[in-house]
Amino acid sequence: MSDIVLNSVSKSFGGVRVIDGISLDVPSGEFVVFLGPSGSGKSTLLRMIAGLETIDEGSLTIGGKRSEHLAPGQRDVAMVFQNYALYPHMTVRDNMAFGLKNIRMDKAQIARRVQDAARILEMDALLDRRPAQLSGGQRQRVAIGRAIVKEPAAFLFDEPLSNLDAALRVRTRVELAELHQRMQSTMIYVTHDQTEAMTLADRIVILNNCRIEQIGSPMDVYLKPASRFVAGFVGSPGMNFIKAELSGEGEQQVATLGNGSKVALQIDLPPGTYELGIRPEAVQVSQTPAATTGKAAVVERLGDRTLVHLHLDDGSALVALDSGRSQIRSGDTVHLDFDTTQLHLFDADGIAHHAK
Amino acid sequence: MLRNTKKEWLIGYILVAPFVAIYGLIFVYPTIDMFLLSFQDAPLIGAGTYVGVDNYTRLPSDRRFDTAFWNTVYFVVLTVIPGTFVALGIAMGVTRLSGRIQSLVLALFFLPYILPVSVVYRIWDWTMNFQFGIAMHVLDTLGIDRVPVFQTSTWFMPAVAFVTIWWTCGFSVLLFLAGLRAIPQDIYEAASLDNTSGWRTFRHITWPLLWPITALVLTIQLILQLKIFDQVYLFSQGGRPNDNLVMVYYIFQRAFVNNQGGRAAAIAVVLFIMVIIIAALNFQLMRMSERRK
Repeated sequence: MSDIVLNSVSKSFGGVRVIDGISLDVPSGEFVVFLGPSGSGKSTLLRMIAGLETIDEGSLTIGGKRSEHLAPGQRDVAMVFQNYALYPHMTVRDNMAFGLKNIRMDKAQIARRVQDAARILEMDALLDRRPAQLSGGQRQRVAIGRAIVKEPAAFLFDEPLSNLDAALRVRTRVELAELHQRMQSTMIYVTHDQTEAMTLADRIVILNNCRIEQIGSPMDVYLKPASRFVAGFVGSPGMNFIKAELSGEGEQQVATLGNGSKVALQIDLPPGTYELGIRPEAVQVSQTPAATTGKAAVVERLGDRTLVHLHLDDGSALVALDSGRSQIRSGDTVHLDFDTTQLHLFDADGIAHHAK
Repeated sequence: MLRNTKKEWLIGYILVAPFVAIYGLIFVYPTIDMFLLSFQDAPLIGAGTYVGVDNYTRLPSDRRFDTAFWNTVYFVVLTVIPGTFVALGIAMGVTRLSGRIQSLVLALFFLPYILPVSVVYRIWDWTMNFQFGIAMHVLDTLGIDRVPVFQTSTWFMPAVAFVTIWWTCGFSVLLFLAGLRAIPQDIYEAASLDNTSGWRTFRHITWPLLWPITALVLTIQLILQLKIFDQVYLFSQGGRPNDNLVMVYYIFQRAFVNNQGGRAAAIAVVLFIMVIIIAALNFQLMRMSERRK
């Protein structure tokens, strides 16, 4: 267990910059998730920490030791790969023991560590099988087991759940959270799945275009996104964005939407054109006539809730959240109430401003 | 639509018929005929008389057969295993290169493979020529006495084996290269995070994962080198053919020089059985390696 410090690290492939001066401090025992779309550099950043990619500029410190020039095996980190990268010709036991044999650890100790890891991951019965005889979920466990036996300073996960089916992914996610609680180790986890990020992370690092967009706790990132990008990327279904004209005095402002309806909100911003962002759960279907109305286009019933895809009069699209027993049908005219404390305005640079 | 099974069968037969006819005419029929011929005292062309297993029983005491048999074994030992390792080494080197340089280096290693044997013979015959071959100049600079390589029994087989490896290893390199590329890169990355040294990576990752390809290369080489003839025939010219005999060369001598079709056929059958036994052993070896997975 130890902290990992990245100090303005950069990396280019040929002439293309893929990581641009990123600084990050991961305290000991924290579960940090790198979240971003494909091509955002999140996997590259993880691989730079692991030592699988070189660091062109900047420094990396793992547990107080400068590590950017160390070979991957000497950084005291363990990695779980997306495709597991198990050694296909070795048994589960040998897969886990291989790294320990390489450092000439004493046999009894290796056996003990393998047994412990197998017990934690409940795979005692699998130890003598080969990867080809295991299911996807079991292979995943072996990959995690191979990391655990090393008792590393930090665990690195590169999209470890993306090859599992939906049900198994949810279960493994919970198991990973339990594993972190039990081991209290530093973990860095790369994913493009914002649900994984929200559920697992102590802190989320959102990457976009080779740089960090925002670092914060899951709820911080969700409730107070720093930019238009973060607001759009985190949350499912995604945040609604509507063009809005802001007018008013001081903090008492009125946003006029494209269809002419007005929304009063408290925000400290100069008048002008903004993009108004509001999450579907803050758009409530009202039984009484309200200022904004829209026409339901598609109604998605998810059982516990209903997503209503609406068009406002000016054609702009909006998703509203209604209860699971919603009576709305496609083609209905729907009255909408906005929760004005959950409004966000984004200026021309994409910077977010949050309503009070 | 209902399928007309009868018609499909008929079309199937018609489509394979040309191949079956040609295969039967130029492979199956001669093979059967060769077996029959091996029990006869017969010239190469024309009828013979049945002599039972005489052609076989005289082989153990035939000095030239003895030479041919052991020379073939010696040649196989000199080419198959060293050739496989040389090809593996080259493939491991080539795989580290990238882009155009890789293609260029690969092309250079593959180039000898496309040469006809007569050209290979000319190149190396000149290179090793006692008077003006460049190899002799190398020996001179090293202070070693010149050797008439292809005229000396000691050096003949090793030299032909060397030339054969030079000539044929390009193909094995290609097979190994394909095998190396099939090993996922992330396994090597996992190994590097597992603190694996270069040698242990080869010993515990590359070698076992490449074993099916290695077994394939060994099989191909074994069967190919058991049938060695051209190089030995060409390099023996002006040398000592009877000391350098190999199985196919001996078959050639018996059949085409001595006009003894029956005795030649018996040697051919022995070689045929040798190849089948070795191929079957190899097949078992490959199956074993697959079961290990």
